[in-house]
Amino acid sequence: MKKLLIFFIGVAVVLAGWNASRHNWYDREENELRMVYSGEVTTLNYLTAATANEISLAVNFVDSLVEYDRFGEIKPCLATEWNTSEDGTIWTFKIRKGVKWVTHEGKVYGKLVAQDFVDGLKYVLTSENNSRTANIVYSVIKNAKEYYNKEITDFNEIGIKALDEYTLQYTLNKPVPYFLSILNYLCFFPVKGQFLEEVGDRFGTDNRYILYNGPYVMINYEPHHRRVLEKNEYYWDKDNVYIQRITMTYNKEANVLAPEMFLRGEIDHVGIGTDIIHEWMNNPVKRNLIRPNRTNFFSYFFLFNFNPQFSEEYEPVNWLVAVNNRNFRKSIFHAMDRKSAMLTEEPYEPEKRLLNTITPRNFISAGKIDYTQLEPLSKFTNRDSFDEKLALTYKNKAIEELKGKVSFPVKILMPYNAASRQWANRVQVIEQQLERVLGKDYIDIIIEPNPPTGFLERVRDSGKYALMELNWGADFADPETYTHPFRRDSTSSWIHMARGYEGENGYTIYENLVQRAADEVMDINKRYQLFAEAEAFLIEEAFVIPYSVGGGGYAASRINPFEISYSPFGAVSGRFKGLKLLKTPMSMDEYNLLYKQWERERSERLKGAEK
Amino acid sequence: MMNSGYSYWNSTIRAFMKNKVSLFFMALMAVFIVFIIIQPYLPNQKSPNVIYVDDTTGLQLINMPPGREFWFGTNSIGQDMWARIWSGTRTSLFIGIIVALWENAIGLIIGVIWGYVRRLENIITSIYNVINNLPRVIILILLAYTMKPGVLTMIFTMCITGWLDTARIVRNIVVIIRDREYNIASRILGTPAYRIIYRNILPYLVSVLVLKATLSIPAAIGYEVFLTYIGLGLPLSIPSLGNLINEGRGYITVPSLRYQLMIPAMVLSIITVSFYAIGNAFADASDPRNHF
Amino acid sequence: MIRYISSRLIQSVITLFAVLTIVFMLMRLMPVEGYLGESYDKLDEIQREKIIENLGLKDPIHVQLKKFYKRVASGDLGVSIAYRPGVPVAEILKSKIPYSLGFGIASLSISIISGITLGIFMADSEGKILKRVGNIYIILINSIPAAIYYILIQFYITDIFKLPMLFYIDRPISWILPVLSLSLGTTATYALWMKRYMVDELNKDYVKLAMAKGLKRREVMKKHVFLNAFVPMIQYLPSSILFTISGSIYIESLYSIPGMGGLLVEAVQRQDNPLVEAIVLIYSSIGIIGMLAGDVLMAILDPRIKLGKREGRI
Repeated sequence: MKKLLIFFIGVAVVLAGWNASRHNWYDREENELRMVYSGEVTTLNYLTAATANEISLAVNFVDSLVEYDRFGEIKPCLATEWNTSEDGTIWTFKIRKGVKWVTHEGKVYGKLVAQDFVDGLKYVLTSENNSRTANIVYSVIKNAKEYYNKEITDFNEIGIKALDEYTLQYTLNKPVPYFLSILNYLCFFPVKGQFLEEVGDRFGTDNRYILYNGPYVMINYEPHHRRVLEKNEYYWDKDNVYIQRITMTYNKEANVLAPEMFLRGEIDHVGIGTDIIHEWMNNPVKRNLIRPNRTNFFSYFFLFNFNPQFSEEYEPVNWLVAVNNRNFRKSIFHAMDRKSAMLTEEPYEPEKRLLNTITPRNFISAGKIDYTQLEPLSKFTNRDSFDEKLALTYKNKAIEELKGKVSFPVKILMPYNAASRQWANRVQVIEQQLERVLGKDYIDIIIEPNPPTGFLERVRDSGKYALMELNWGADFADPETYTHPFRRDSTSSWIHMARGYEGENGYTIYENLVQRAADEVMDINKRYQLFAEAEAFLIEEAFVIPYSVGGGGYAASRINPFEISYSPFGAVSGRFKGLKLLKTPMSMDEYNLLYKQWERERSERLKGAEK
Repeated sequence: MMNSGYSYWNSTIRAFMKNKVSLFFMALMAVFIVFIIIQPYLPNQKSPNVIYVDDTTGLQLINMPPGREFWFGTNSIGQDMWARIWSGTRTSLFIGIIVALWENAIGLIIGVIWGYVRRLENIITSIYNVINNLPRVIILILLAYTMKPGVLTMIFTMCITGWLDTARIVRNIVVIIRDREYNIASRILGTPAYRIIYRNILPYLVSVLVLKATLSIPAAIGYEVFLTYIGLGLPLSIPSLGNLINEGRGYITVPSLRYQLMIPAMVLSIITVSFYAIGNAFADASDPRNHF
Repeated sequence: MIRYISSRLIQSVITLFAVLTIVFMLMRLMPVEGYLGESYDKLDEIQREKIIENLGLKDPIHVQLKKFYKRVASGDLGVSIAYRPGVPVAEILKSKIPYSLGFGIASLSISIISGITLGIFMADSEGKILKRVGNIYIILINSIPAAIYYILIQFYITDIFKLPMLFYIDRPISWILPVLSLSLGTTATYALWMKRYMVDELNKDYVKLAMAKGLKRREVMKKHVFLNAFVPMIQYLPSSILFTISGSIYIESLYSIPGMGGLLVEAVQRQDNPLVEAIVLIYSSIGIIGMLAGDVLMAILDPRIKLGKREGRI
């Protein structure tokens, strides 16, 4: 036994000594980016996927008709030019010549033609393929919904045609001013029909079962272990692809292990989570290795429920009376200190994440004015809603009006998903903060943990909340996308049931405001103005309390975030095209400098566009 | 045989008392349990869920290191770790003890019936085989889906399958003992079944059961840590050793915050080590073969 | 013996059938939202209906069940619907099982050798220090949550010896830590049981007699005590070996090993019914076969044990 033990220790020491001389564990290629990720993709089938992990990987393999540059402007990609008909319903694209499809081994499979886009759309609209993005197609393309529902069987009736090898034409069911932005969605991506037939059901289940025409080819794919992306040597724009190889290693514990791996030089990019940012900020060495992340276009907000379906113990009838009182809603609106809630996620610079409107800033602009700075919205954008005095004024008014009709304290049920630690932290802070400002004799906030299984359906969409944090990401580059969660057909909100807001034609005032804006398809500036008015109404009447944008946080990274394309859909920014690997990790100062520079250049661009 | 002057319990206790180490752990646990029960009523105690804010800035006191104001520091949202750890220990120990009692009570009853009543043997064996082969995680996730996360749900989910092991062990022992000559003789002489079970079989089970029970407590706490790890644990608003440790795991690479992992981990280790030591010593002491 | 084995096998098939049916039913109690996955929010009513319909979840439950029996009977494990939609379940398992099996068997071998050795030394009253150390080791391993000591080992040992933090298939040096970590717990278990059986054996009269007769202690230990104590250990060995394919959720998560650990949990959480059913089928079969193999092995090694007498251990 002893001999055995000595032997084992001996072996271990020898092996360790032999290896101690080497520092980099993964033989590093010249110009290789190494990362660790914790969310594995379930599929590579870009025509059916709709979640962030899948999208941000797929955009490296297949290109879209148009793409966003690093300032958020649309520029040609697989389409070289395009025009639209007078009425805005017919869009014609010239497809780039000489683009090649290659296999995972980097061999040429065929050339890209207009028909490939038709094949892609047909796949998406075939309901048996379970595409999660089909609704985006059939919300704009003529006859697409009928085909999806099998009411039309001839695909030629659908609003997409390959006029010749390099000319593609879309026919829309209505004028859609934001059509170009929608083309960035995976469902409009091309696919080779012949290849689809060859691989059948296996399409997208593996790196062997897709074709590539984008900046990278996945040469190795072991789910839950590792993936290797190699630069596509046949890429049409390969001069703008600088990183030769990207190695991504899966690790479920990435948030714990990856920062250490970065320090040991095993990886080049890592997000620094809220948990450990404290340490990295206060350690003199680590502090110089991190920089902020950019925020994205997910909008988080708190929504009042006008259709409470929760159990009697939380007094839904009482809640219904209270929530229909404008002063009651406004008292909560102004009492919520969103900054203290944000400290749970963003302990440094919480302000950069706070959002005072539903539509995020820098999302879109009317001429050179950012949408959130348009007249009725600007007064919210430029002022924090937290105001204790104002809150107490509204509270007193509400008490007066509700006296005898409502029993105080009003119980406010705030459910959350127990699987989300951040959410759990947030609601605890909000509960205590609101009760402190408004008093426990006025409101009684009940935070309710819920199991993650079927959470949204069972809690949110069943109306089992009084006040709840919801979120929404943009589907296209138009403010209309941020009205979706408040519409009558939304499954999660019941704003149309608020009393005292009836408007014309049997619709509510808000619905009429939105409709008026959506109908304006020719004058874009006016359209945005009208949407801004609708959004301002939503906030002014305190149906909703805007909270924050997503993203943010910090990263230790050799990537410059200002080199990649900037777009309202976080996904396309997952494209590694244009990125160069920095020699040393970017510092806070460098980031701030680059950010200022980026903002300056962008505003100059916008001014240029105005002329 | 009964009047030979030998008393099973006296001998067990005498044997147990000889083991100084386990006596120490026994005393430690007694003090510990008294402490966590009276802790909230001691002076200067904070509440486990209150988020403490700075009076001047109005912002939360996040990640304060252990000090005079917060003895074990504060967590990432400004709650007092000292209060949370003891509150969590109460929760976890409570879960552990209830689960241990239940597992052993039900396990004992089913195990004895299973081993002694031949008519039911086949049925219980089949049921056992089926339940034992059902993956617990499916049951756990379904229960989590139908019940609100909380202490009672936790206890229920652990109890629902927890008795299987005990039942099997008890049954195996009963089968071995029931056919010993003296038991067959007793049966022939007309001694009622309950008396045979009580007098001749139970003493053999005591050692195993006590061992199982003391080990069940740390096992239940460990299981809770696992459940928290796969996302089926208690919500953060109910502190427990499981979710405190799971939350602390993120700090393992962070020297300045590691106290948020190390303190709950140490408390957990003290509890489990103590119960292990007590359990093992008692199992040895209560084994009738060691009484001579 | 053959009659005994075949009757046990028939029983097992019935058990298996019951388990699969129950699991099938339980999975149908899961919420519909789960089948739509993370993109739930972005789907409209029509799509949700279509997807649920395409998954065959709209059929009456008995129709679904019949289809399921037919499929399983023909040896088809089905196609994954959520974990990796479109990929045959058999293919997923085939890529994962070798990892878990490899790590499992390597660590099990280490555990058996070191655990049994430790157990023997602990039982022998001569080695006082080893006994103490062994006891402390067993208690510590059993009382510190694995979730913590695994990560501590990974973190510090890789730092001290300059080892890679994660597992790389082409770097054998990176296999060592996961194997050793995995064997820590099972070593303690084997040592504990070995010690127990040895002590039981040592207290028996024949040993005392042999010693009294003047036989060498070493001789007695080697020839009689060890062998007799080892037999009961055999019983659970086949199950342990077979069950290594289920992997370790902690170790595989920490070291990026694409094995089976945590697969069942994830499959259930994602409501990938075919995958869940296949895993349950495999694990249950293994459980049953392992137990049977253990009993048969015992009967072969120890002639006193007669199979077929119903009161045997289960």
